Amino acid sequence: MKSYLSVALLCAFLAVGCAHSQRSSSAVATQADISPKTVLLAADSGQQATDAQVKPKTQSVNDDENLDYAEDTFKEERVEIADPIEPFNRAMYHFNDKLYFWALKPVAQGYKVVVPEPARISVKNFFFNLGFPVRFLSCLLQADFSGAANEFGRFGINTIWGVGGLLDPSSNKELDLQKQETDLGQTLGVYGVGHGFYIVWPILGPSSPRDTVDIAGDYFLYPVSYVYPWYAGIGVRAYEIVNSTSLRIGDYESLKEAAIDPYIAMRDAYIQYRLKKVKARKARSLIFKAEETSAPAADTALPNK
Amino acid sequence: MKKQFAALTILMLFVFSIPVYAGVPMTTVEATVNRVLNVLRDPKLKSPAAKEIKKEKLRVIYKDMFDEIEFSKRTLTRNWNKFSPAQRVEFVNLFEQVLEKSYMDKILDYSNEKIDFYKETMIPEGKAEIESKIITSSKEIPIFYRMILKNGKWKVYDVVVENVSLVQNYRTQFNDILANKTPEQLLEILRKKVKEH
Repeated sequence: MKSYLSVALLCAFLAVGCAHSQRSSSAVATQADISPKTVLLAADSGQQATDAQVKPKTQSVNDDENLDYAEDTFKEERVEIADPIEPFNRAMYHFNDKLYFWALKPVAQGYKVVVPEPARISVKNFFFNLGFPVRFLSCLLQADFSGAANEFGRFGINTIWGVGGLLDPSSNKELDLQKQETDLGQTLGVYGVGHGFYIVWPILGPSSPRDTVDIAGDYFLYPVSYVYPWYAGIGVRAYEIVNSTSLRIGDYESLKEAAIDPYIAMRDAYIQYRLKKVKARKARSLIFKAEETSAPAADTALPNK
Repeated sequence: MKKQFAALTILMLFVFSIPVYAGVPMTTVEATVNRVLNVLRDPKLKSPAAKEIKKEKLRVIYKDMFDEIEFSKRTLTRNWNKFSPAQRVEFVNLFEQVLEKSYMDKILDYSNEKIDFYKETMIPEGKAEIESKIITSSKEIPIFYRMILKNGKWKVYDVVVENVSLVQNYRTQFNDILANKTPEQLLEILRKKVKEH
C-alpha cells in the first residue's frame, strides 16, 4: 500500500521535475494556488518552456503582464503606415462611403436583380482577361517567369476557348493555370519600395504614392482606357465597377459594421492586404526570393559582385 | 484503499495529460466548423423562429472555440495594463458582443458553400496556423485560424480573412483610440456600438 503510493509520488515528482526549467518554475511561483492540477499544467507548459513565462495565466484578468507581443511569431505583420494627410483622407473616405451607399450600391443591386449570377461572373472574367498586359508585365518585372507563362497561357486559352475571356477554362482542374493577381504597385513592393504614406483617392479608394504608380500604369496598359470616344471608355469602366460590385455587395458593409473606427479599419486592412500580396509575390520571384531569405547578408555581399 | 485510489488518479492524470497534448489543431478547428455547419444545416432549425435557438447554439460553440481573453489582450496589447480588472471583464464582454453582432448574420447567411481545410503549420511555443478557404460560386475566400495551445486545448486567438488579421485590425483601431482617450471612453464607444440598431 505504502510502496504503491511512493511509486506514484516518485512518478509525479519525476514528471514535474523533468519539465522544470527555470522559466516554468517562475511561472509556478506566481500562480496563486498551487493545487496538483496547476502543477500539472505548469509541467505541461514547461514542455513549451518559452511560452510558459509569457502567458502562464492568460485565463485571469487581474494581473498586469508584459503584453508587448514584440517577439510574436507573426510580428512581421505589425505594419503601420504614416498618415500625414489624415483629415483629407478621412474626408475622401466619407465621400467614397456616401458614393457607395447612395449611388454604386443601389445601381449594383438593381443590376443584380436583372442579370443572373453566372452572367455577371462571365462579365467579370471578361474584364479580368483584358487586364492581362499589366499582370504579364508585372510578372516579368518581378522575375516570376512561371507566373508570366501562366498568365500568357491563360490569356491565350481563355480568349480563344473561353469565348473572348467570358469563360475561364484555364482554371479548371486539368489545366490549373492559376490567376496571377498582381500589379505594378506590388512589383515596386517586390523591389523593396515602401508605401510612403496613406492616400484615399476619391472613387479609387485606399492607396499610397507607390500604389498610385499602379493606377497610372494600369491606365496605360488596360485596353479599356483606349476605347474611343473617352466617355465611352468611362462608361465601360463604370459598368465594370458596377458588375464587380454586384458580386460582392455586403463585404464593405460587414467590414464597416465590425469596425470601431471604420476609417482606421479600412486603412489597416489595406496595408495588411498589400503587404501579404507583396510577400507572396516575392516568394515566387527568382531574383528577389533569395534576397528575402538572407536579407542581412545580401547587403554586404552585393558590392563584391 | 482511498490512498490507493488517489495514487491511481494521480498516475492516470499523468498518463492522460500526454495524449491531449498531441491533439491536432487542424482536426480541432475542422470539428468545430463542422459543428457550426451542423447547426446551420439542421432542418429542424430552418424556420425563422428558430433563429434565436441557432444563435444560442452557435454561441456555445464560439466559447468553446475561441480564447476571448487572449483575443482581447492581443488587440489591446500594452493598453491592457491600463484597464482595471473590472474594466477588462467588461471589455472582453463588450468586444465579444460587437463581434457577434457583426458576424452572426454573415454566418447565418451560409448557404452550403464548400469549406476546405488544406494546411496546418505548427509553430514552436504551442501555436499553429490552419489554412482554409470558403469556395463560393464567384470566388475563394481564404480564412486562416491562428491557434494557441492552452491547458491541453487548442483555442483560436486570431482569424485572418483574406490576408487581414482581425487582431491586428482591431489593434490598430484601439491603439488609435487609446492614444488620446481613456479606457473608460473606449468602453463607452463599445457600449454605444453594442446598443446600435
